[in-house]
Amino acid sequence: MPGGAAPVNLISTPLNWLAGAAGLTRTVRVGVTGLSRAGKTAFLTSMAAALLARPAPRFALAPLGAGDIPRFDHPGHLAALAADPPRWPERTDSVSLLALTATIDQSPLPARRLRLEFLDYPGEWLLDLPLLRQDFAAWSAATLQRLRAPELAPQTGEFLGFLAGLPGRAPADEALAAAGTRLYRAMLQRLRQGGMAFLQPGRHLMPAPGAEPPWVEFFPYAGGAPLGGLLARRYAAYVDAVRRDLASPLFADVDRLVVLADVLSALHGGAAAFADTKAALGAAAAALRWRFSWTEALAALTELRLPPRVIERVAFVATKADHVAERQRGNLAALMKALAEPGGASTGTAHFAAASVRCTEDFVWTLEGRPVSAVRGRVLGQSVLTRSYPGEVPDQPPDASFWEHPFLALPEFEPMRLPDGGRGGVPNIGMEAITRFLLGDVL
Amino acid sequence: MSGTRPTLQRAPAPRIETEDLPAPRLEALPDLPDPQPKAAMGMPALVGSGVAVLVLGLSGLETSNFVADEFARGPLLGWTALGVATTGFGLVFAGFWREARALGALQAVDKLRADLSGPNAGRRVRAARAWVRDLPEAATLLPAIDAINDPDAVLALLRAGPAAALREQAELLGRAAAVQAVAGLAAMPSPGLAALFIAWRGLRLVRQVAALHGLRPGLFGTVALLRRTALSAGAVAGAEIAANAAAHAVLSNPLLQHLAGEMAGAGVAARRMVVLARAADAACSPLPPG
Repeated sequence: MPGGAAPVNLISTPLNWLAGAAGLTRTVRVGVTGLSRAGKTAFLTSMAAALLARPAPRFALAPLGAGDIPRFDHPGHLAALAADPPRWPERTDSVSLLALTATIDQSPLPARRLRLEFLDYPGEWLLDLPLLRQDFAAWSAATLQRLRAPELAPQTGEFLGFLAGLPGRAPADEALAAAGTRLYRAMLQRLRQGGMAFLQPGRHLMPAPGAEPPWVEFFPYAGGAPLGGLLARRYAAYVDAVRRDLASPLFADVDRLVVLADVLSALHGGAAAFADTKAALGAAAAALRWRFSWTEALAALTELRLPPRVIERVAFVATKADHVAERQRGNLAALMKALAEPGGASTGTAHFAAASVRCTEDFVWTLEGRPVSAVRGRVLGQSVLTRSYPGEVPDQPPDASFWEHPFLALPEFEPMRLPDGGRGGVPNIGMEAITRFLLGDVL
Repeated sequence: MSGTRPTLQRAPAPRIETEDLPAPRLEALPDLPDPQPKAAMGMPALVGSGVAVLVLGLSGLETSNFVADEFARGPLLGWTALGVATTGFGLVFAGFWREARALGALQAVDKLRADLSGPNAGRRVRAARAWVRDLPEAATLLPAIDAINDPDAVLALLRAGPAAALREQAELLGRAAAVQAVAGLAAMPSPGLAALFIAWRGLRLVRQVAALHGLRPGLFGTVALLRRTALSAGAVAGAEIAANAAAHAVLSNPLLQHLAGEMAGAGVAARRMVVLARAADAACSPLPPG
């Protein structure tokens, strides 16, 4: 459903009326998820700026009361983008919450109050969610199988060599566990620099603030006890922490979901990086409950619990769409659709190619005597324009012939100047369509 | 035909190049505002304008003919007739001018409110400055607005400062009107007169609150103000509990309590005066509801 035609909701509209009639505030929680560096913070900043700039309904930043989750620093991020020279928002290293409220006129019925909640958190942590459904042995086997791919040997050789050197019944030695964790972390960093995305556990790449507890020190290991037992216990404690700190408070009550992915960078990364991104996206989507399951509902009812909530709408968004010309953005949305839902689109999902903070303008570039649609913008820290034609974006997962030609790296363009210092919204591509799809029924 | 088959051209090789000359930071194309549809005159306005033109135009023609006739009879009669006609028409036009100014002031409030609640941040701050410039607190508020330069924070400042002071004064007027309404009802010999008295007091209250905001509405201005007050009454209806409390405070005088207890509707009239004062304050204030 590219373009974002919002499905008609026969439940939401009467709910809005009832909420208005009863003078209640309806809260809609939007989870913004995405792989690392997909641009979640910029997306949230842009969406909040667009909502705050709407003439009707008028939104305002909501007070967070005495809640546990820190406030998303919207003014700070907006100021960074609006600064001259501009800066991209800092990498997210912890969970934060952005809440907006609005009073929506629905005359002749009483006006209703709406509260929108958006969650931001480190993208690295998203891939911790699939761990909830795996034990240590299964996770280790799957991870090691991926790491043993021949094309990853330059990055993984050191860690796999360490594993190969461990004896069959390695002792549960603290020094061994620490050394293995250190090597595994260094390997994850190298893989990330190489464009890989399916990197677990997330806190190895983006540690939580504060001192690290001992259970963070583990790595995939297929050997048995005693070292395997120690690592398995630490893995179980890690999974408990993910369930306690991330899954239950943040994802249990999400009504709408945005899944962001930097598909263009994955195309640049090559066949292995692209396949890895596809696998990561699939694992993350599978870990989030956005399809109604009769088995889960029946299981809950037999335990005298309410069935788990189902996410009503999911938007899969290929970000940084301003790095390719408009002519190619349709292909980018189609590619996102093929990656996110290989079995075909399902009800309540839509696919977009968007740029939450626009950095470039389109222009026609004559290359080798032929005009091509390209983009140009200023790279951060430079005062001259850079022209970019990174290559053609396929509308399906590319075959082997695609990788024979390079898809160039995306330059780090600086954001366009923000009108009114960002108070008039952030220049973007496609954000209105995403907002309409996600929130059209409640606005 | 040469016999050679045309071959498919390969797409140009991808590339990234940097230009030589410095360029300014890119800017998004500004969103041009939608042209405001010009409001067409409604039927009552058309008919009213026609009647006014006919009455004034024909009476003006008739009067000028009369003055010309008087000059034909004698210079003294002519000058006297001209003086009377000029004074009479002058007063009529002065009344119209005052009405037009009052209506213009009301429309200026509407425009300020639209600007203050609009999406354009610069326009919101400019509208805030324009409103504050005419207030007694301008000397302290203008530098504060310049320092804040954030529309939401500026609005919060104005709501907490001058708007709150005006609201407080409007409520004082409302309470005074409530006391007078209860006392006046006791003195009215018939229900018809009582209704007339309450209507008059309500109208006077609305004009008092308007004067508080620097507006001096005439006849049409008062009608327009009443319409706005009726519309904004919905916005302040949520303050019903507060209005009840205020009405109770008004009726704390034992004599008034006794009167209100004896007369059906006295308490309701008192509460309506308090609500009316709030609604009139909301109608005259350029600040959008918070």
